[in-house]
Amino acid sequence: MAETVSSDFEGDATSKPAFSLKNRLIGIARVSPTMAAGILIILAFGVMALFAEFLMPHDPVSAYHDRILQPPSAEHWFGTDGNGMDVFSRVIYGAKFGFGIAIPAVLLSIIIGVPVGLIAGYRGGLLDEVLMRFFDGLRVFPSIILALAVVAATGQSLLNVVLVLGFLDSPVFARVVRSEVLALRSSVFVESAKAAGNPTWRILFVHLLPNAVQGAMAQTAVRAAWAVRISATLAFLGVGIQAPTPEWGAMIRQGAEFMVTGQWWVALYPGIALILLVFGLNLFGDGLQDLTDPRRRAAK
Amino acid sequence: MTSPVLNVSNLVKRFPTGRSGVFVNAVNGVDLSIAPGETLGMVGESGSGKSTIGRAVLRLTEPTEGKITFDSRDITAIPERQMRPLRRDMQMVFQDPWSALNPRMRIGDLIAEPMKLHLDLSKSERENKTIDLANRVHLRPEFLRRHSADLSGGQLQRVCIARAIATNPKLIVLDEPTSSLDLSVRAEILDLLTEIREQTSAAMLFISHDLGTVKLISDRIVVLYLGSVVESARTEELFRNPAHPYSQSLLSAHLPADPNAKLSRHILKGEVPSPINLPSGCTFRTRCPVAKDFCEREVPKPHQIGTSGHEANCLRIPDGGNRITPSEVA
Repeated sequence: MAETVSSDFEGDATSKPAFSLKNRLIGIARVSPTMAAGILIILAFGVMALFAEFLMPHDPVSAYHDRILQPPSAEHWFGTDGNGMDVFSRVIYGAKFGFGIAIPAVLLSIIIGVPVGLIAGYRGGLLDEVLMRFFDGLRVFPSIILALAVVAATGQSLLNVVLVLGFLDSPVFARVVRSEVLALRSSVFVESAKAAGNPTWRILFVHLLPNAVQGAMAQTAVRAAWAVRISATLAFLGVGIQAPTPEWGAMIRQGAEFMVTGQWWVALYPGIALILLVFGLNLFGDGLQDLTDPRRRAAK
Repeated sequence: MTSPVLNVSNLVKRFPTGRSGVFVNAVNGVDLSIAPGETLGMVGESGSGKSTIGRAVLRLTEPTEGKITFDSRDITAIPERQMRPLRRDMQMVFQDPWSALNPRMRIGDLIAEPMKLHLDLSKSERENKTIDLANRVHLRPEFLRRHSADLSGGQLQRVCIARAIATNPKLIVLDEPTSSLDLSVRAEILDLLTEIREQTSAAMLFISHDLGTVKLISDRIVVLYLGSVVESARTEELFRNPAHPYSQSLLSAHLPADPNAKLSRHILKGEVPSPINLPSGCTFRTRCPVAKDFCEREVPKPHQIGTSGHEANCLRIPDGGNRITPSEVA
């Protein structure tokens, strides 16, 4: 497939200036300051996730038995938890779980949802009804309860959390792509592709997909925020990831016990990290949707 | 005589309206035949079913009734899987070149696509042929790397034509290929099509609402009214001797090139009837200046006129009353 999709006529007729992240960000900040803020937050957490080993002052899972539940200090910026582990190091390491779950989960949603949306939208009729009703059925359940049940039933592992989240969220991408395809399938260029002798898979993936995928791409950041939130919720409920793994949801669960006795730092800092990353992803996602939807752009 | 490249008999297409039992009668029993290499012009007003016929011939819309034979093969009901290899020999050029090309593909890839689908060529052979094709449609090769948004309407229609001739098809259906273009560009595209008609052996079905355009390019013309053929003749014969009252009024509305020519016009009164409720008998009778009582009851059959294959479907031909007396205009 890769061979047939590739262009025989690579290279741009007009030369583009070299990519500069700084200039890009300034450009985006002019159009949408909130989107630029979102990108900055995501980048900050991305750096944390990638370079955690260099940023952490302590090992996130080694316990100092003589320093249990110490308040924030020069040695332990965010204090220590009930096992005597450094909360600051654990919050930094937690970014790995945030991205490590959200990115593969969203990719899986796209891999399942986009082809289903393409086929359902293009074929229509009974196949469309069956596929979309099934996906609607998935959306009817509160996703957290469904995720809880499935992870509990399939076994407590990180991989299962990713698979369940990816599968549960695929209807979002299927819906967006399907609605685009419904609008495109009767357009002249699709008929022209059929008249030229294109087989159905080429009409779907070469002709419809590149024109229908924009709306789905705009959803990715918001769905990543959802995945971060739900995976943390699952860990908070003790499903999937268990303490003392330095995952934010699991850390908040552990810290919640100490809130009543006044050791607020154990739950607060992972909570702030979680809120910030979800907030950043949502800011970025909102900006993406504004950029790709001309009606939303015009309303601003 | 060689067998026709395309033969259509009794083609009927009804579109459902949403109300049960009520249909739009787009095409009502059309017979057509195109010889290899021949260019057949098809004229009619909007709503006369000409585009539907063009699309049905290529199985882009399913005919309700009738039989379509392409290259001595009945293609009326064969599945798309078997249809696909035949599409190498039947290509189409659409009316609106802006929407007929995938906006995300490069022009070069669009031109090369039919070859990629049907011909077994290496990448470099295909690239060379793509450049040849661009030259044949007078498109500068630097456009091959661009996208459709960077080209003008005339250039885009050249791309569509290059796509259509890429596999050396036996039949090209051109659905109003010039009507969405500016006048000067229209002339260039017509010149190009004439050139291609001389270079290739492809037969063409040229659909248009404009008699002048069809006259320039066609060997033979069929005139459609409300989904039926009313007259079919060789181009010169039709212009010299139109037999059907509808053709006569169409021709009188067509301005001759000579500014000093005397204009005799006959402008039709009334509206085209709804294709949902077709008039009984001859469908043209509601607007026909020479209609008689019996036109309401009888469905006209083709009458042979002369020996050149000229046929007209008018009930008044036998009594000679089919001629409209021209009203002269200064």
